[in-house]
Amino acid sequence: MFLLSEGVKNLWRHKLTAFTAIFSTFLTLSVAGSLMIVGQNTNKVIEYLRGKYKIEVFFNENVPDKQIATVVEAFNKINGVRSTTLISRSDAGKIFKSQFGENILDIVGYNPLPVSCVVNVVTFQNDKMNVMPIVERIKSFPEVDEVLYQGRLIYRIETYYQKFVQVMTALLILVLVITVLIISNTVRLTIFAKHELIQALQLIGATRSFVKAPFVIEGVLHGLIGATLAAILLIAGVEVGSDLLYSVSKFKIQYSPFVLFGILSSLSIVISFLGSSRAISRFLK
Amino acid sequence: MIRLDNASYTYAKGSGVSNVNITFGDDEFAFIIGPTGSGKTTLLRMIYMDLMPQVGKVVVDKYDSSKIKLRKIPYLRRKIGMVFQNYHLLEDRNLFDNIALSLHVIGFSKNEIVDRVTESLEEVGLDGKEDRYPEELSGGEQQRACVARALVKEPDIILADEPTGNLDPVTSFELIKLFEEVNREGTAVIMASHDYNLIKGRGHRIVEIQDGTVRQS
Repeated sequence: MFLLSEGVKNLWRHKLTAFTAIFSTFLTLSVAGSLMIVGQNTNKVIEYLRGKYKIEVFFNENVPDKQIATVVEAFNKINGVRSTTLISRSDAGKIFKSQFGENILDIVGYNPLPVSCVVNVVTFQNDKMNVMPIVERIKSFPEVDEVLYQGRLIYRIETYYQKFVQVMTALLILVLVITVLIISNTVRLTIFAKHELIQALQLIGATRSFVKAPFVIEGVLHGLIGATLAAILLIAGVEVGSDLLYSVSKFKIQYSPFVLFGILSSLSIVISFLGSSRAISRFLK
Repeated sequence: MIRLDNASYTYAKGSGVSNVNITFGDDEFAFIIGPTGSGKTTLLRMIYMDLMPQVGKVVVDKYDSSKIKLRKIPYLRRKIGMVFQNYHLLEDRNLFDNIALSLHVIGFSKNEIVDRVTESLEEVGLDGKEDRYPEELSGGEQQRACVARALVKEPDIILADEPTGNLDPVTSFELIKLFEEVNREGTAVIMASHDYNLIKGRGHRIVEIQDGTVRQS
């Protein structure tokens, strides 16, 4: 209890250093939080796009339906294929009617639409998706006339997305390391200012952990206050930004305020604990 | 019991103490006398194990400098009350909190801390001044506050390093009388001073130290 009250009192005693540490933590956690929200939402967009990935396969006109069914069965066995849907001529006619509002038979007198198949591919959350091997395998069937897919576009999006994730991760790590160093240096300033207290504590028989505790508690409090302020700013920013975005694009930013606050405060506890422990341990060496 | 066996410590820039062989009893009052730089502070620092002898050893109660682990040193210091020339009071807290700090370190309860701090302030004649900050006290009062801080944990030994260095002669004599009272209650007192006039004729053992070498009296 004494150590906790010392930690809290130190916040007031070292107002300037406390302000510096809280402000730095607030800034870095705001950046970290923003990156997390952006990352999470970019991931959602990518997942949405992945859900739409499909390969459309059109068969030659003279191939019998039974043979097509066998080929479709073979498609299902290709590595990376999740499912297939066979679209018969009559199904294609129905799709034509639903899309254009007219019966194809009324227009041309017969059904010229080919039998086709939609191939859905397996999506992996973290791996880049490359449908090219599947497309190549499908094309190798002589019964296949044409294959339509968004292959190159998908591949490009995935490549950019992977680079984006790498940059974001590196940026996040950098921001966190900077925060640890800022907190560590701020606590070091406090320690230098309080070297008399540390000496006095050591002389009256305080253990190493007793000397360390108030400084670590103080550092963790800096972190928690900074995290709370960052969470308030981000939540307010996301709420306003999400409404604006929804009004123009019908896209709602996905995030949970509680999860965001939980992550930021946990992160702040970890980094401020590391920062302050590092500072006081170096001083006590 | 404090025992220094052939204890030596030399600083990087020279001076220190060499081959000190001396024993202090459990309820002894001893003065260590010597000029500035003769090694008095080094000797005291070896006793509270702020400096570890490079040769020989220091034994205080069950704590032996040649065997002690660093994490055990705080427990030795809890048995020793220290008083310094420059007081070492913390400016950011009042007298009560300065004195109570020693008890917080040991883990006393809040009620015990209040009782003990009040009692020790009375003992040194500072009752009623517990809310004052160090800067609001005279030199003599600050030094008595240091004594109260040393006494509050009921130590086995008081080590005083030039405690009268910043005090006028009258206040200095009062401080020595206070130490004598503490000693009568069974606490060993070892006080370093360079002022022979202050300590002569008081009937206590005087250990002379010159150029790092102890000459027993």
